[in-house]
Amino acid sequence: MAALTLAIPSKGRLKEKCDEFFVTAGLSMQQTSARGYRAAFPDIGDVEIMLLSASEIASSLVSGDVHLGITGEDLLREEAPELTGRVSLLKSLGFGNARVVVAVSEYWIDVETMADLDDVCAAYAATHRRRLRVATKYARLTRQFFAQNRISDYRIVPSAGATEGAPAAGTAEVIVDITTTGATLKGNGLKILADGLILDSYANLAASLTADWTDEAKAACKILLSRLDPSGGLQGKLSADLA
Amino acid sequence: MAAFPYYDNPAIDALNGQAVALLNLFAQRGYVREEPAVLQPAEIFLDRSGEEIRRRTFTLMDPSGRELCLRPDLTIPICREAVQQGRSFPARIAYNGLVFRHQPGEPHRATQFFQAGVELLGLDDRAAGETEILSLTIEALRVAGLKDFSLRIGDLALFGALVDALALPVQWRARLKRHFWRAGYVESLLYWLGHGDRKAALPGSRAEIEALLDTHADAPLAGRTREEIIARTMDRAADAAALKLDAKVADAIAKLLDISGPAETALAQARALLKTAGINLDPQLAAMDARLAALKSLGVDPAQVQFTAHFGRNMEYYTGFVFELWARDKEGPVQIAGGGRYDSMMEMLGAKQPVSAIGCALRTERLLAVKNFAGGA
Repeated sequence: MAALTLAIPSKGRLKEKCDEFFVTAGLSMQQTSARGYRAAFPDIGDVEIMLLSASEIASSLVSGDVHLGITGEDLLREEAPELTGRVSLLKSLGFGNARVVVAVSEYWIDVETMADLDDVCAAYAATHRRRLRVATKYARLTRQFFAQNRISDYRIVPSAGATEGAPAAGTAEVIVDITTTGATLKGNGLKILADGLILDSYANLAASLTADWTDEAKAACKILLSRLDPSGGLQGKLSADLA
Repeated sequence: MAAFPYYDNPAIDALNGQAVALLNLFAQRGYVREEPAVLQPAEIFLDRSGEEIRRRTFTLMDPSGRELCLRPDLTIPICREAVQQGRSFPARIAYNGLVFRHQPGEPHRATQFFQAGVELLGLDDRAAGETEILSLTIEALRVAGLKDFSLRIGDLALFGALVDALALPVQWRARLKRHFWRAGYVESLLYWLGHGDRKAALPGSRAEIEALLDTHADAPLAGRTREEIIARTMDRAADAAALKLDAKVADAIAKLLDISGPAETALAQARALLKTAGINLDPQLAAMDARLAALKSLGVDPAQVQFTAHFGRNMEYYTGFVFELWARDKEGPVQIAGGGRYDSMMEMLGAKQPVSAIGCALRTERLLAVKNFAGGA
């Protein structure tokens, strides 16, 4: 077992972009397991690369099961509402953009802002005698954002996938979902509220502050980070957050 | 306090002894004990209470996939039973049992605790109901052996009446009332009022609205009706035109919301402010006077009663008079009982007509701790 574990996305566009990121830094990865779930950097010893799904990476960082990882800020913030002391966002990588937004039907011409939504939530609870439902994979971010906007008359319906279809399917009235261009939302007759941007998320190189940072892990990490950022900025940030 | 409390023999005996004394008192006053199930269908709590209660409710799924929860309070199941049984009113119900609350961000706080309480449902004489519940709560503390405690009182109806007295569009009045219990937010709403809402970019006439809606005919209705949307769009256009609040009046409200202190002085301040603003809330203030008089006749020292104008309890279902009782344990001030009026609950749970409701709950474990602390001091 290597001293330092680094988790990166196992498939899709995020994986390609991660590979590019390491190649740009002069690091190439080599698979070490037949089924492709483990890899290593041939010229940096003591680093084990684990290929996981983006959400597994977020939960592994929060629980301290890996030292470093690349995953979306949205997933990290959903996994742990308060990142301070648990996960340090070392570097936003400029890819994997996902805006977490509040969207409602375009038919709701009277709803443009969170304040409008607040009125409608309250009116809905009064006339229909049940709470308006918000479908989302981001229950924690939604709760936090709705609380900031002083909205309480709603309930969250956990969504496993195709959240944008919930209003048309009748399983929820409002959704909180990720979007990049807004095209999928529009295709489902939905619009983003003017002040409904919860998080503008990118893939981040992140460090778990609760992982087991042995001297060997620190040493391996120092070598890796100096390759990714010769100026020493990343290492400085991590040292400060670990202190 | 441990997250998963273990009651050793002296602790559980003391709690049981106290519970028997409290339930005896409730029974003497005509309150019949009932006991809802610990495990409840989740829907009733999740649909009828807001996200604030939901996020503190333990939910689980039974093997068939039905969503259940551990009761986060006893008031909702007791009220629902009264509605479903078509109980005749007034009904007086007492309870003593465990409730379960997730404590977000505070993993060391107890996830379960005992509550003893009473609910008075369907008594039309609201003032009499309030005096009855308030007196019973204070008697209960005395039966439990507690002598020193203080009260915080407030009244959501006071603020509601104040807002109704303002020449504001109805949606704005509803918004102010809805957010009364979030004191800081109301101030910012008042600020918006002074500086105007966003200008309505929407058409105001019905024909224009219908034409606009038809351009979105493919988008889902998402649980609302076309009429609901048209009505609110028209209201909103009308609001933008009518939205204005005299600076003097806005100022008076802001000052009024700031009032907090010994009840008699605080109420005198409120009267003076309302007079300046030209707003008449005499019936609501008289109700508050009557409650103070009732407390005095119970032998409660007026200096121990604090009136806070923006006090609305951090629970979403209260609609009128609210109160909290506080004492001290070894860590400082601690709330040992609380209650108030929740007149919209029974209809939310399916009652065909309005049913007045008021109740209170005592934190019996804290009550014991406080008494032991006072006894040992």
